[in-house]
Amino acid sequence: MSDKISVQSAPPSSPGSVGTTTGKAPGDSPRNSAAASRGSSRVRPGDFIFRFLSTGSAVLIMIILAGVALFLIISAIPAITADWGTNDQLNTGPTAGFPNFWAYVGPLIWGTLWSAAIALLIGAPIGIGIALFISHYAPRRLAGILGYLVDLLAAVPSIVFGLWGIIVIRPFLLPLSDWLSANLGWIPLFGGTVTTTGSTILAGALVLAVMILPIITSISREIFLQTPRLHEEAALALGATRWEMIRMAVFPYAKSGIVSATLLGLGRALGETMAIALIISPAIIVSARLITEGQNSQTIAANIALNFPIATTLQRDALIGTGLMLFVISLAVNSIARVIVNGKPRSGKKKSKTPGPSSPGPLSRVPAGDFASATAIDVVAGSSRAGKPGDDGPAPEETNEGARF
Amino acid sequence: MKFKNVAATGAVLVTVAIALSACSSSSTTGSSTTAAPSTTAAAEATSAPLDASLTGTITAGGSSAQANAETAWITAYNAQVKGVTVNYDKSQGSGGGITNWLAGSYDFAGSDSPLKADQQTSAQTLCGTGGGLNLPVYLDGVAIIYKLDGVTKLNLSTETLAKIFSLAITTWNDPAIAADNPGVTLPSTAITTVARSDGSGTTQNFTNFLSASAPTVWTAPASNTWPITGNVSSQKGGSGVVQAVGAGSGTIGYADHSAIGDATAATINKVEFSQDAATAAFAAGATTVPTATGDLSQKFDYSKLTGTDVYPIPLVSYQIVCSTYKDAKQAELTKSFIGFVASTTGQKVAAKNAGSAPIPDEMLTKVLASLATVK
Repeated sequence: MSDKISVQSAPPSSPGSVGTTTGKAPGDSPRNSAAASRGSSRVRPGDFIFRFLSTGSAVLIMIILAGVALFLIISAIPAITADWGTNDQLNTGPTAGFPNFWAYVGPLIWGTLWSAAIALLIGAPIGIGIALFISHYAPRRLAGILGYLVDLLAAVPSIVFGLWGIIVIRPFLLPLSDWLSANLGWIPLFGGTVTTTGSTILAGALVLAVMILPIITSISREIFLQTPRLHEEAALALGATRWEMIRMAVFPYAKSGIVSATLLGLGRALGETMAIALIISPAIIVSARLITEGQNSQTIAANIALNFPIATTLQRDALIGTGLMLFVISLAVNSIARVIVNGKPRSGKKKSKTPGPSSPGPLSRVPAGDFASATAIDVVAGSSRAGKPGDDGPAPEETNEGARF
Repeated sequence: MKFKNVAATGAVLVTVAIALSACSSSSTTGSSTTAAPSTTAAAEATSAPLDASLTGTITAGGSSAQANAETAWITAYNAQVKGVTVNYDKSQGSGGGITNWLAGSYDFAGSDSPLKADQQTSAQTLCGTGGGLNLPVYLDGVAIIYKLDGVTKLNLSTETLAKIFSLAITTWNDPAIAADNPGVTLPSTAITTVARSDGSGTTQNFTNFLSASAPTVWTAPASNTWPITGNVSSQKGGSGVVQAVGAGSGTIGYADHSAIGDATAATINKVEFSQDAATAAFAAGATTVPTATGDLSQKFDYSKLTGTDVYPIPLVSYQIVCSTYKDAKQAELTKSFIGFVASTTGQKVAAKNAGSAPIPDEMLTKVLASLATVK
């Protein structure tokens, strides 16, 4: 402990020679110099500068975020408060035909959520499946390669995904759309005039699903990998098949991590612009139809990208206003993700004390919470620092487990 | 040894490639520099000879329809005036071009529509009481492209076109289409109209045409965003429309003629698009409706575009300049560049490299006269 302090207090120019600061000969023992430096409570310039820089960075990000929010609000106000019915600028072009701002942004919010939801419905199970394969099924070598490939997917620019969507996915989905329309057209989702060019929300959401795979996969994989080995081995030793082991040991442990991975994927899907703008044939309407040409709900981000270049001043303000709504939605999604992640630890801490008999099954109470969630946050923050699964105290669960089988 | 061989082959290939590229580039620059003076001599509309000693940077941007022509103009202009750098940012679109120009960041804006009244008012703070001048420098046509198996030639009357795009006709074997195409066997395929999902000058020009020429059928407003909802495939950009029309079947869409590539274009009232037909349309139907002194905003009278050699859906795009620049040097540079653009030579350069139609010489003379008043 004292060693640590002495090193920290040394000026950065001479990190190794701990004695210099107190004016003693460099040969002195660390312990002595540490005591000396603790006595003189001087603030070193290096300390001060580093602290200033790191605090400054933290403050800066807050200022930037507040600045963006402020910019959005200030720019959006003229359009939100304008009378859309009588305003000449808002009555033409992209904003024509809406009685007020909310009537304009409403369908866009729906389209944003709807396309992201479909993408999530397709992408999340696949992403989790890939993560599970990498962490629990694949041979080690293959797992490494596969993990690398999935991460590589995150580096593909969205315009490339957009072009891939236009040239490959759209024609690829046409037969499916025709079949769905012919056979399942009575379901409202597949109703309407079936597409001939393929630019449907289904195609857009499919590409979106591919785009959110890397986020969901890499976060889930990290969490699956950190399932306490003891839990897994215990399950296997008790005769569980691998699937049963995953169901009873891995999933409960990683539950909140999966949820936050999914919500972060959702955040990515909500903000995606280029691919959607290129693939989908949009209309500013509230529609859930999947395979039509003209009834695909437009998303906020794509709508801004498509109309910003020709927008007049007030129309720009209106578009920025829709951007403000997207900002709010994204903030809400991320906050929900955080709440889900952070809300668990308390119950997680309780669990080791009270393995109550009322709970549904022993393994479902396996440390659902803090560790997996903390890892999720770490991964999000860009640090893949691995914690120690040991602190979960798995002993009570294992004894209970015996009773179960 | 083996490696050495590979290296040697590589070196040879590189040398050849360099030689080839050097060859091609020198030949193109050579021809353009020699061709330019000779055509200038024969031209009817010429600005003052370009001052090759000018130096500086022109910053401009806006309409993406003009982008290919701008590139051609800049290349040809720099062949004569080497010291001037012209930056044209097409990513802004017409609206962004005007916004940035009004903010003072651009020396001129490229726009598919002239300044609106309120924009002209704001322009007075930038350019003094004379306001901004809309100079028509780019002419093209809106092509109607389609893909229909078994039909290689298609003619559509204005009325039928309006019916198709307003979704009043939904199948290809509709009597109205059949009446326009005697002797052609039309399939019963459903029609899918393909429009622009982004706001665009092409949409503006096309809807101008439809609402003026077929007001009883086309009741939607003229707009820079596609006003029809329903079974419409909306695509981003002219290239997106061309792609979707080509990939579908029974599809029909509209795009700048210079951007349609290999797509099949229908004839409108039996007139096929050609550069001459677009120039003829401008000469026949365009009238100047000035919003300021020296301004040359154009309005098409579509009812006059009926001749057998007049393409009925022309598309005109402007360069917007200040009547008085705050910086006399920028005024000089901008006048020099647009003077070249609005010369017969400049129009030929764009026609050859960007597929646009030359503006009639009569109008070019007016543009140059307006430009001469710019201070």
